[in-house]
Order: sequence, then C-alpha cells, then structure tokens
Amino acid sequence: MTSLSCNSCHHCGIVFRWEPLRHVSADGTLKLFCCRGCQSAYQLICSAGLEDFYLRDDRSVPTVKETAAIHFNDDDLIRHLVPEGELCRLDILIGGITCPSCIWLLERMISRVDGVSDVSISYAGGIASIRFDPVLCRPSEIFLSIAGLGFAPRPYSPALSDQVARRERDDLLLRLGTAVFFTMQLMAYSYSLYAGYFQGMGGGIRNILQYASLFVATPVVFYCGWPFISGAWQSLRSRSPGMDLLIAVGALSAWFYSTWAVFSGHETYFDSAAMIITFVLLGRLLELSVGRTAMSGIEALYAAVPQRANLLNGTTSNEIPVDDVRPGDMLLVRQGECFPVDCIIVEGETEVDQALVTGESIPVFVAPGRDVRAGSVNIASPVTAQALRPAGQSYLMRVAALVQMAQAAKPSLQRLADRVAGWFVPAVILLSVLVCAWRLGVTGEGIGPAMMVALSVVLIACPCAMGLAVPAAVLAACSRSATLGIILRSGDVIERLAGIDCAFFDKTGTITMGRPQVLELTISQGFSEKFILTLAASVEHSASHPLARAIVEFSARSGVLPAECRDFTVFPGRGVSGIVADGQRVVCGSAVFMAEQGVADADSGGMTDLSDTAVFIAISGKYGGRFLLRDQVRHGAGTLISLLSARDIDLRLLSGDTQQVAEKVAHQIGMNIAHGGMTPDQKLQLVRETQLSGRKVLMVGDGVNDAPALASANVSCSLTGSSDIALENADVIITGDDLARLGTAHRIARKTMVVIRQNLAWAFVYNIIGIPLAMCGMLTPIYAAVAMTVSSLLVSLNSLRLMRIKHNG
Amino acid sequence: MDESLILLIILSLSLGAGCWLIFIWAVKKRQFDDTEKPKHRMLDDD
Repeated sequence: MTSLSCNSCHHCGIVFRWEPLRHVSADGTLKLFCCRGCQSAYQLICSAGLEDFYLRDDRSVPTVKETAAIHFNDDDLIRHLVPEGELCRLDILIGGITCPSCIWLLERMISRVDGVSDVSISYAGGIASIRFDPVLCRPSEIFLSIAGLGFAPRPYSPALSDQVARRERDDLLLRLGTAVFFTMQLMAYSYSLYAGYFQGMGGGIRNILQYASLFVATPVVFYCGWPFISGAWQSLRSRSPGMDLLIAVGALSAWFYSTWAVFSGHETYFDSAAMIITFVLLGRLLELSVGRTAMSGIEALYAAVPQRANLLNGTTSNEIPVDDVRPGDMLLVRQGECFPVDCIIVEGETEVDQALVTGESIPVFVAPGRDVRAGSVNIASPVTAQALRPAGQSYLMRVAALVQMAQAAKPSLQRLADRVAGWFVPAVILLSVLVCAWRLGVTGEGIGPAMMVALSVVLIACPCAMGLAVPAAVLAACSRSATLGIILRSGDVIERLAGIDCAFFDKTGTITMGRPQVLELTISQGFSEKFILTLAASVEHSASHPLARAIVEFSARSGVLPAECRDFTVFPGRGVSGIVADGQRVVCGSAVFMAEQGVADADSGGMTDLSDTAVFIAISGKYGGRFLLRDQVRHGAGTLISLLSARDIDLRLLSGDTQQVAEKVAHQIGMNIAHGGMTPDQKLQLVRETQLSGRKVLMVGDGVNDAPALASANVSCSLTGSSDIALENADVIITGDDLARLGTAHRIARKTMVVIRQNLAWAFVYNIIGIPLAMCGMLTPIYAAVAMTVSSLLVSLNSLRLMRIKHNG
Repeated sequence: MDESLILLIILSLSLGAGCWLIFIWAVKKRQFDDTEKPKHRMLDDD
C-alpha cells in the first residue's frame, strides 16, 4: 500500500525534480505528489473508493497539469449527443490512455458521475461510449471527471468512413465464419469420399455423401465467395484481370464440374472450391486487421480551436460563437485560453505556446504589434487582441485544407498480388480452355475427362499459395514491427517504404528533441556550484517555461532539490525573480533581462552556436553564473542517418528555423543538404517537386506544419507525442524516443519484400512444374488439392522467418 | 446403413448450425469489435 518509492510521485510516478507535496492519507501513511493536480487526482480516486488502483503494477497515468480552470461548454457538447430512448449517448475520444489500468480507472470514475448508466471504453481507439440520463447530469460533468484525472477528453463523432470500414469488417467476418463452419462439415464428407476413392465405397453411400457435399459447398461458393465473384465480374468489365478473377474461376469451375459430376457419377471436388475461398477470406481479414485507429486528425485540428471568443465592447466582454468574429473585432484572451482566430496583439504582453500550430515547444514572447495564430495557447497573462481574419481562414484551417487536398490527391495503390495476377490469370484460363479443346477435338476424349484435365490446370494454378503469399508476409512483418515499437498503418506501407530513395526530415521535434537541455554551467568567481544550482532551482521551479524545467531537471540530476522561494514573479519573455530563504533576491533570465535588472558583467562570451540559449543568474544584483542550453539531437538520429545513407537514400533536413541553424544541425548528424525557413506550403511543394522527378519520398515530421508534406509523401513517419494531425497522416509511427527504429522499419520492409518475392516465386515455380503435368492429365484434382495445401504451408513458414528480425542487428 | 448415415449427417449439420447461429449472433452483437480489452479485464478483481 506504499508508494512506488520515496522519490517519485504517488499518482503519476515521475521522479521528483523539486520538493514534493506531502499528504497524509486516511490510513495515516505519508504520500508524496509532484503537483497539486496529481494530489487532487489521488484524493478523487480515494474518495471514490478506488485506492486499489495504486496496487496495480501495470499502471501509468499522465501527470495531471494544473491548468487554470478546465472549462467545457455544455452548448458545444450538446451537439454531439445521440438520443437513445430516455437516455443519451456521448462518444468521447480520450487522449492519454496508455495502459489497461487507465481504462480500469476511467470506466470506474465516469460511472460514478450521477446519472451515468453505462460506460465502455475501447482499448484500441481510446473511445469512450457513455450512456447517461440528460436530466440528472450535464455532459460537462462527465468531461470534468475525465479531465480531473489528467486525461484529455474530446467529443467524438465517428466519421462516415469508420462506419463503412466497420461494416466491411463485420461482413468479412460473417463470411469467413460461415465459410469455416461449412468447410469443416465438408471436410468430413470429403475425407470419407477420398477414402472411398482409394479403398472402394458403395454407390449409395457415395451418392449421399456427394449430395451432402453439394449442400454445404453451395453457400460457401455463392455466399462466402460472393465478394470474389462480384470482384471478378467487375474486373472483367473493366478488362483488368486480378486476383479475384482467378479465385472466382477456380472456385466456380470446381463447383460446376463437381455438380455435374454428382449427377453423372464422377468424382467431386467441392472441397477445393471451399478451401480456396476460406483461405483467401482469411488472408483478407488478416490484412484488414493490421493497425486501425479511429482518430481523425483533421477533426482534432478543428477541435483544437475554441468554439467561443470573448468579444470586447468598450469595457465589458461577452462570449460569442467563434464563427461570428469579424476581422477588426477586439477580443479578450485570458491566461490559459486558446486564441480563437489569427490575431494581432493590441494590449498586454504575454507568452504563447504554439506547440499545436508550429510544433515549436518553447513558448514565444509576444508584445503589442505581434501576430498570433489561432490555436496558440496564452500561458502568461491576459491580452487584448484584434482579429485579423475570420475563423474559417485562420492558419490552422488553411493547413487543414492543404492536408485534405493532399490526402485526396494521393493515388490509391494497387495490391501487389493483383499486379502479378494481371497477366497470370488470363494465361491460366486460356491454357485450361486450350487443353480442354485439345482433348475434346484432337485426342477425341469425352467431355468428362477433358473437363477434368482443364479443372486440374485451374486448381493447380489456383492461388491459395499466391493468395497467402502477400498477406502472410505482411502480417508477420507488421506484428514483428509492433513488438519493436514500430506501428505500420497498413500492409501496402511495407512495399512503399521498401521502395523509397529520398528522405526528408523535419528538424524541431523530429531530429531534435524539441525541448532544451542544459549543456554546461559556468560559475562566476566566489560562488559554489551547489549554491548556484540551489538558488536557480528554487526560483525556476515555479515557472512552467521549458528552459526553467531544463534547469530544475539539471539541478535534480546533480542532486540538488529546490528550496523555498517567496515573491515569485514572471517577466514574460525575459526571465523570473524571487526571494529565497535567506532574504536574497535572485533573478534568472536572458542577457537583456540582466541589463534591465542592473546586473553588470553578464558574460555572454564563448557562445559559438546560434541555436544555443543562455540563461543568466544574479544574486542580490551580483552576477552568479550562466547556463547554456541546447535543443539536443534525438537519440538514434545519427545512427538512422548513417543507416539510410549506407542504403543510398538521399537525405535532406527541412526546417522552419534559419538556414544557418538548419545547416548546423544537419552537419551534426551527418546530413549534407538542409533547407531552412520552410513554411508548410514550401515543404509540400518540395515533396511534390521531388515526386515529379520520379523519386519516392519518405517524410518524417511531427508538427501541424509538417502535415501537408506528410500527407502527400509516398511514405510518412511520425513519432509518438507528435501532433494528432501528423499522427493521422503517418504511415509509420515510431513509439518512444529512438529514431533509429525507423532504420529498422526500413530494413523490415526490404526483407518483407524479399520474402514476398520468394513466396510468389515459389508459387510460380510450383505452377511451372504443376501446370504441364496437369495438362498431360498426370495430376488428378485430388493430388492438385494436396499440393495446394503443402504449398500454402510452405509460404506461411517462409513468412514466419520475418519474425526473427532484430532491432539494429 | 444408408438411413443411419443420413441421420448422422443431419445431426452433425444441426449441431454445427447451432454454433454457426451463435457466431452470427455474436457478430451482430458486436462481440468482436474490441478483442484487446477482455484479456486485460479478466485480471481485474471485480
């Protein structure tokens, strides 16, 4: 019942970087928390009687952020309600779910809200489906109960495409289940018939078994096999023969021949028809179940912008819908609120967090005259801003429009197996017809034996192995990737990833961590390192700025914990000040801030790197030292670059920063070409131009500004923790911080293509040997059916080799 | 002999059809929508 350890938060488990909050729980034990948010989440959980949550060893909950006041507007939420009789249903997309324990906790906390009748959260998509009584409870109460635990709730209306995809999957599942059921019955009859074929069987029993086979095989061919039959019909009409045609021809010819055979006393081959359909349906379902997310990034973008704005009328302000904001309107944006439209600051100074908009995690200082984009969060103090554009034309909405256009323009890829089947299918059908005609006309055999030979040609050529060749390899590759922390969005990503010859990387947040870290500390004479670190940590630990966090983290790593600090003041964009225990005033901030505070001798020499930031500290007006901070290159970036360039892939760095900074970082990780000062449109343009010259582009990025380029690249990759819109457009998602996994993903993709080619080559060789034998009439359909099973097994086993690929091996 | 064979075939078919109907019911009831959660749920106490 004790906390994980004495130096980590009882709720979220992060290791303390500052003096923890103490809380004595009901049973008298001391619990430590990293912040008030976590403490109140703990109290919430305990008051609901769910202390058992802390006994679960698989839990990992988000750190609760102390936001000013999380605010949900019932008027906006009501639009998402779905009436269900007396009750209402509300679907909520919950961000921050990482483990089964999160779901355990959320389901219990939500169901304790008055009026909620049932809650169900899907593990895969993180979507909560909540039924509640609208008389007893308002939707905002449910949202608050989720946000109070540190998760990010967002109303969710399932997109039409999701519903279509689900119906498709259910349909496939029904057909496969039915096929398996009937084929199992059919096997019992078929094996008896095979035994009878070799050992002799009474005509009466044989007939009964054949009729029973006909009875169970018919639904398999015509109901379960319907997708293939209709697909074959379509491919005939568009004159582009594909896999479906071969399957349909194989299954239908086996069925028609066997039906004829039942009534004329020949051997039947219903089992071959049913087997083909069952196996290929299984392959299709496996393909479909590879990585699905329910998240729509574009919806998330729209949701990021607040629905309401505070319009200033002289001295009073009133809330209006954001769509009613006209250019020129004066708006009040309070601390903790989001800018609803693109604005220009008129009054007040503050810092804004543009993480969502530009991917830049370091807050930017803004003063009157500066423009701010919709979706930026005001984190320091209230400001008055003038709207520049209507809500629909904001930067964020323009990016969303670019993404939608790029998504629509992306050509859908033809299945690899379909392309192979393109010439193979007509050849097989032509061969079997020719053989049948030859046997009938030239050799002068009866229709029965001639049909039998033609059928064995189709059956031997039939695509069990070919149908499995691609899905089996793709499934093995996807599941292996998943265990290595690489999520592949769909099977065809593998083929595209293996074929890239050009890779573009975003800088901030992708190649670099996107958060600064202390590189070195220089201390002025007369001070000890411990003393400086203690004072710096004490002043900075109340600030939320990433630079401040980096300094506190650095101190904690050197074993220094912050002490008490009074009169803490933030000077937006410049620094902080405070009075420490012994009454000395400590100021921490930029060189400009030092000059303002009358601190002399602030030493800014030795700053070699433009991308570095210096933070100075002064104690009672005396210069104490300097922290040098840098946005560090992500772990594994260098490895990835050397891996990819060894495979002859052209690498480029794209950045919104200046050309100099971009070149510096590129040089550091061994990349030759860097493009600085890129806007989202320019990134998209560069991807398009490169594609026009016939190259296949891989784009790696994390921010909203990369989304259009990600959407139009041949393959796109994001890391977890990227913006939702980037993740939505990513074909490959790397979990964790190690960028080198992308190199492994590329290697898996190439190996998978090798295995697929081997599988197809095997199926092909098998056909080259089998078809002539069948044409000579030396291979009866029974042996063809056995050969089919053996070759399917071989293909599956070959695909399993992919499961042995190791990371960085 | 023939009669008993027919009887057995009908018997096995109806047994199988029972399972098949349960399967259809399960798909329609969306039992297969989330196959990830139940395996964690069994570890919960309540």
